[in-house]
Amino acid sequence: MTTTIVLQQAINGVVLGSLYVLVALGLTLIYGVLVQINFAHADFVTLGAFAAYFFMHLIGGGYILSIAVAFALGAALGWGVNAAIFTPLRHKGNELLPLIATIGVSVMMQNLMLAWFGPIPYAFETPYSSQVIRFAGIFVTWQNIIIILVSTLTIVLLYTFMKFTYLGKALRAVSQDRETAGLMGINPNQLIMLTFVIASALAGMGGAMLAPVLVLTPFAGTSVIVKAFAIVIIGGFGNVEGTILAGLIVGLIESFTTQFLDPGLIDIVVFALLLLMLAIKPTGLISERREENV
Amino acid sequence: MTMPFRALFLGTIVINLFTVGPTAHAQDKTIKIGALFPMSGPGSYFGAQDKQGVELALEQLNKAGVNGYKFVVQYEDSACSPLPATQAAKRLIEQFKPDVIIGEECSDATLAVMPVVEQAKVPLINAGSSSIKVTEPGNPWTFRIMPNEVMQGINLAENAAKRMNAQTAVLLFENTNAGIGNAQVFKDNFTKLGGKVLAEIGFGRDINDFTSIATRVAGLGKVDVIPTYTLEGQGLKITQALAQAGVTKGGGGNAIQIGTIWLPFGFEQKAGKAALGYIRIVQFDPTDTRDVAKNFASEFKAKYNADPTHLNAHAYDQVMLIADVVKRGGKDAQTIRDGLAATKKYSGVTGSVEFDKSNQNIKMDTIHYMETKPDLSWTSLKWN
Repeated sequence: MTTTIVLQQAINGVVLGSLYVLVALGLTLIYGVLVQINFAHADFVTLGAFAAYFFMHLIGGGYILSIAVAFALGAALGWGVNAAIFTPLRHKGNELLPLIATIGVSVMMQNLMLAWFGPIPYAFETPYSSQVIRFAGIFVTWQNIIIILVSTLTIVLLYTFMKFTYLGKALRAVSQDRETAGLMGINPNQLIMLTFVIASALAGMGGAMLAPVLVLTPFAGTSVIVKAFAIVIIGGFGNVEGTILAGLIVGLIESFTTQFLDPGLIDIVVFALLLLMLAIKPTGLISERREENV
Repeated sequence: MTMPFRALFLGTIVINLFTVGPTAHAQDKTIKIGALFPMSGPGSYFGAQDKQGVELALEQLNKAGVNGYKFVVQYEDSACSPLPATQAAKRLIEQFKPDVIIGEECSDATLAVMPVVEQAKVPLINAGSSSIKVTEPGNPWTFRIMPNEVMQGINLAENAAKRMNAQTAVLLFENTNAGIGNAQVFKDNFTKLGGKVLAEIGFGRDINDFTSIATRVAGLGKVDVIPTYTLEGQGLKITQALAQAGVTKGGGGNAIQIGTIWLPFGFEQKAGKAALGYIRIVQFDPTDTRDVAKNFASEFKAKYNADPTHLNAHAYDQVMLIADVVKRGGKDAQTIRDGLAATKKYSGVTGSVEFDKSNQNIKMDTIHYMETKPDLSWTSLKWN
């Protein structure tokens, strides 16, 4: 086994892990603030992927701009779905209703996309996918470099927002104690809406980044969402730093399992790690208490 | 009776008048075809294209009918997966009561459906599942018009070793009955001919990024051929990843991807230059000069304004074969089954059909080899 191959698989793992992080961050934000799992998150990813595809192929827009379009569409859709469906159900006081509604939204979105876009896989090629840089036996596409740059920038911006801005601090306050945050003058409903908008925007952007990697069909998002859920659990429910770390670990596990074991064993290894985390450290990789999350 | 119940009761009567009535009236003059196609999930592209082929066949057949019979089809989503396929088959048999069923595409789903049709004594015509288990041992009610994995695999291994002078191979396959079976047949026959298999890499249908697999292949040294067995979506990603890793011709390497019947016409255009030099068996050759194939291609283009894929073609063939059996006296499940078993030298758009004792089509002219040219069009290799 040469160093080159190990290094190449490490690069592959980091690229894939960065994509997983983008998807998982939205899930963990929603869980952190609402203590709710959003089963429709995968479909926001898929819609972001299609938005980027059609922006490029119908309008003739550039790929980088298509990422911004997918981000904006995700944000708008998150706002709309939360306002029209989840918020009214939350106000009924039964926490199960919005959870079930996310399943309903997921099925509805999948079937709408199936009706609009059809079942035949789309080939999402960007000008950067085929531009390969080869150096000392290592290969990296420009697409991979864009993925790493955009993911890093997103993570830094999100971290800065959460730690250093008033809204970010208010969001963390709501995640720790919604009622007390309300007594301090914070409007929890507005912050829940903000969480949905950010999470959905990240999902949309994640879709645009994943589209050249995924088999683009109306069911594309579901193929990554199971891994994203695993990452959220390994990283610690609602923990942003833990999610980033877990995403990268899962990406690396995938590439090194493929190299040294067998790609058919990837899920076994990832979910064995998940079970191990639940048994040994159920709070996740980083935090000890839920209040420390988000 | 309360108002809602009364409305429901009256509604049911009205629905029955529009459904049960006409069906019962037309039953004697109608051949009912149940279609088990994947309409959802990663294999749903099968169903969409199968349906186009079926609809074209129905349009042509129902203009005049065959022996006084018209043909009706009911589609069920079998999802390319055993459990939904079994449920869909039971729904079809219990509610639609078909005279014959066509489908499924995926071997795992077909194998799951076979006991159901056997118990119900309804013939099943399959055109897309390559697993040997479909016909060996098979059952008296299941017929396959496509070449099975052994027929394709032996042929592909021989051509790889003898025509392409390949000495080394890496097998890439999805972890399903068809994927594993196809890879195994190739391995057995390629090694018998002196070839060496450097690695067998199986993967699930949930794998998204094939860069790691391509990296592993790149690290295996000199690879001549890469037999690949996947659905179209993953196939695209594998082909692109292998080119990015510089393994295949499309990426400046020397290895050539080869394969049996999995990928539809149009794959090359989607995969782009990465597909350069890909050699594979296709079920329908658009350059076929037989009248039946030329007419199908032109009529398909006239109806859909697109060139037909092998999925369009084999779905069309399934319905046309049923019509041929009806022409020879088939009128219900039993006589259609017997008529299918007695089929000799039927000429369809994908090739000829003649079944052996296990209900496997034995005609090798259903195997067409093609190679992807630099402009991403096909060259028919005429190897059979």
